[in-house]
Amino acid sequence: MRHVEPSVPLKAPFTALTLPPPRFQLSRDSAANSEMTSISSRRLAKELKEIHSEGCPVGITLVKADDFATWWFTIEVMGESLYQNERYTLQFRFDSQYPISSPAVQFVVGEGMEAPIHPHVYSNGHICASILGNEWSPVLSVIAVCVTLQSMLASCKEKKPPTDNDRYVRTAPDNPKKTRFHYDDDTV
Amino acid sequence: MATTTRVPTVDDLRLKLCYICREEELYDAPENPRRQWTHPCKCTLVAHEQCLLKWIQTAQATEGRAQNAMKCPQCGAAYELESKNPFILRLINVGNNILQSSGGMFTLFGTATVIGVVGTSIYVVCTGYGAWAMQKFIGKEMFNFLLGDDPSQWPWSAFINLPLLPFSLIVTRFQSTSSLPPIIPILLALPSTFSPAFNQKINDHWRLDKGVRKLTSYRPSSSPASTSSPRSWPPSPMIFGLFGIPLVQMVYQRLYSKVYFKVMGTLPPERVALLRNRDANGGAAGRNNVARMDIANGPFNLRVRANLRDDPHPAAHGEPDLLVGQDIPAPEEERVLQVNASTVGRKVAGALLTPAIASWMGTLLLRFSRHSVLLREFLAIRRPIGRVWYPPPVDVMNKDMHTLSAFKQMTVGFQMIARGLWGSSRTFLESDPVWWRNTVGLGLFIVVKDAVQLFHLWLTKRELESRKVKNRDFTGVDFRELDLIPSFLLGTRR
Repeated sequence: MRHVEPSVPLKAPFTALTLPPPRFQLSRDSAANSEMTSISSRRLAKELKEIHSEGCPVGITLVKADDFATWWFTIEVMGESLYQNERYTLQFRFDSQYPISSPAVQFVVGEGMEAPIHPHVYSNGHICASILGNEWSPVLSVIAVCVTLQSMLASCKEKKPPTDNDRYVRTAPDNPKKTRFHYDDDTV
Repeated sequence: MATTTRVPTVDDLRLKLCYICREEELYDAPENPRRQWTHPCKCTLVAHEQCLLKWIQTAQATEGRAQNAMKCPQCGAAYELESKNPFILRLINVGNNILQSSGGMFTLFGTATVIGVVGTSIYVVCTGYGAWAMQKFIGKEMFNFLLGDDPSQWPWSAFINLPLLPFSLIVTRFQSTSSLPPIIPILLALPSTFSPAFNQKINDHWRLDKGVRKLTSYRPSSSPASTSSPRSWPPSPMIFGLFGIPLVQMVYQRLYSKVYFKVMGTLPPERVALLRNRDANGGAAGRNNVARMDIANGPFNLRVRANLRDDPHPAAHGEPDLLVGQDIPAPEEERVLQVNASTVGRKVAGALLTPAIASWMGTLLLRFSRHSVLLREFLAIRRPIGRVWYPPPVDVMNKDMHTLSAFKQMTVGFQMIARGLWGSSRTFLESDPVWWRNTVGLGLFIVVKDAVQLFHLWLTKRELESRKVKNRDFTGVDFRELDLIPSFLLGTRR
C-alpha cells in the first residue's frame, strides 16, 4: 500500500498495480464504494446544511450555492487592517472527489469585482495558499478555507502584488489547481 | 477497590462523525451493512476506515501531499497501517523502481547516442566530400602534397574546413549576388596550412645531398625564369579569391542583366529585387538586403513575364511596378509564365557537383591547350613535376628547423605564413596550377549554362507569343441552335 505509484505506467509483469487510486476498488466494501462517487455531494450537502443552520462566521457571507459544483462567498476583513471596508468575492469549484481532492478556490475578477492586492494573490484571482495545495486535508471545510483566507488578508503587512504577477497572469491556466505553486513565505 | 478502567475505543462512541465524509452514525442505529470505523490518532478525530484509506492512497499519489498523508491533520500523530505486505512484495517493488529509473536513463542515453551516431556519420560524409572536392579542385598532385590520402596525416584545421565545404558550396549557390566572400578563396587558402608531414617532407628534401637534389627536382620551363622570384601569373589564390572573384562576379552580373534585357525584354528577377531594394533603401543599404531576397527568390520558380505591350520598357525605376518576384499576382495585361529553372534539389546537387565540373572543364581546357600557345600561357600550364619542387625554408639553408632557437623558429614560421598569405607557397606556384584552369573552366561552364538557360527562356517566350488557336467550323452542330446571319441562310454570303 505504501509503495503504490498509480500515476506511473509500469512494465508488463506489473500491470496489475497500474490502476490509479480513484478506480482501485476493494470488492468487499461495495456499499461504501457505491457512495464514493457521491461522496462530494453528500459532504457538500452536509456543509450547506450547517451553513444554513448555524450561519457563517463574521465577515463571511454565502452568495450562491445552487449546485454542488460552484459556490460563491464574499469575505471582508473585520477590524483594523489594510483591507478595511473592502469586500471580495471568492469562488469555490468542487469535483467529484471532494473532500479527498481540494476545491479550486480563487477570487472572482470582472464585472466590477477585483482581487485584493496581496503578495499571495495574483491579479487574475488565483491564490497561492498552502491549504489549497499541499496542506489540504479533508478535516478542512469550505468555511475553514474562507476563515483562513480572511486571516491571510488580515495579517498582511504591505499591500503589494506578487513579484511574478505579470508573468503568471499571462500564462496561467484557468483552474488554479493546475498551477504548481511554490510555498516559500509563511510570514505573510 | 481497584477499579479497572477500560480505555474506550472507537466502537464505544455513541455518535461518530467521520471527519472526511461528515457522515454521522449512532451507536444505537448502525448502518446496514456495517461500516468499519477507525480512530487512528491521538485526538478525537474518527473516520470510516474506507474513507481514511482512500484519503491516504490519494494523498500519497499526489506530489505535494505525500508527506502529510500519514499524519493526522489536527494532532499530527502518525498513522500506522497494516497490510499484507510480505517481503516478496517489497522486493518486487524495489526491483520495479530500479527498472523504472534505469529505463529512464536508457532513454536519455539512447537518444544521445543516436544523435551522436547520426551526427558523426553526417560529419564523416561531409569530410569525405570535402576531401573529394579539394582533390577535384586543386588537382591530385597538390592534394597529395597538402593532405594526402591518409586522414591521420591531415592537419587539425582540415577537419574543420573540409566538412564545412559542402555547406559553403550550397550557401554560395543560393546567394548568387551576395556580398559574402564565396567559397573559392577558402578552398584556395588552404595551402597556407602546414602539416607535420609537409614539414617532414621539406626537411627530408633539404637534407639530401646537393647532387641528388639536382636530379630529383627538375623544372621544365620554356623560358629561363628565375626560381628566386615567385611567378606572377596565375595570381595567388588568396588574392584572386578575395578580389578577383567578386570583381568578375559583379562584371558578369551586369553583362548578364544587359543581355537578358535584350533578349527577354525584362530584367532578370534577381536584378529586379536588387534594384527594388536599392530604390526602397535609397542606395547603399540595398546590397545588404540582396542576400536575404535571393534566398527567398533563388530556389523557387523563375517567372518570365511575356509582356504583350508594345511600349518600350521604362527605366529601372519603373521596373518594380511592372515586375515583381514571386509574391504579387500579375496585372491583367501581362501573362505570367512559370519556367521551373531551378528547384532546391537541383541547386543543391549542382552546388555539390561544382568541384567535379570544375575538374572536368579543367582537363578539357588542358586538352585544348595542346593546340594553342595562347591558351597555354593564359592557363600557365606546366608539366606536372614528378617530384615536387620544395621551397627552401626562408633564410635558412642547409639547416634543420629544430636546431634553431625557439625565437628563430617562430620568426621563420611567421615569415612562411605571411608569404603564404600574400603570395602563396612557392610549391603551389611552381607546380601545375590545376586550380587556376579549374576556376577558369568553371567560369566558362557557368557562362555556357546561363546562355543555354537564357536561350531556353527566349524560346519559351517566343512559343508563348506565337500561339494561335486553331479554328473549326460548325460541322456537327445543329444549325437551328446557331444564331446565323440571314445572308448565310439565304446562301448569299459569299
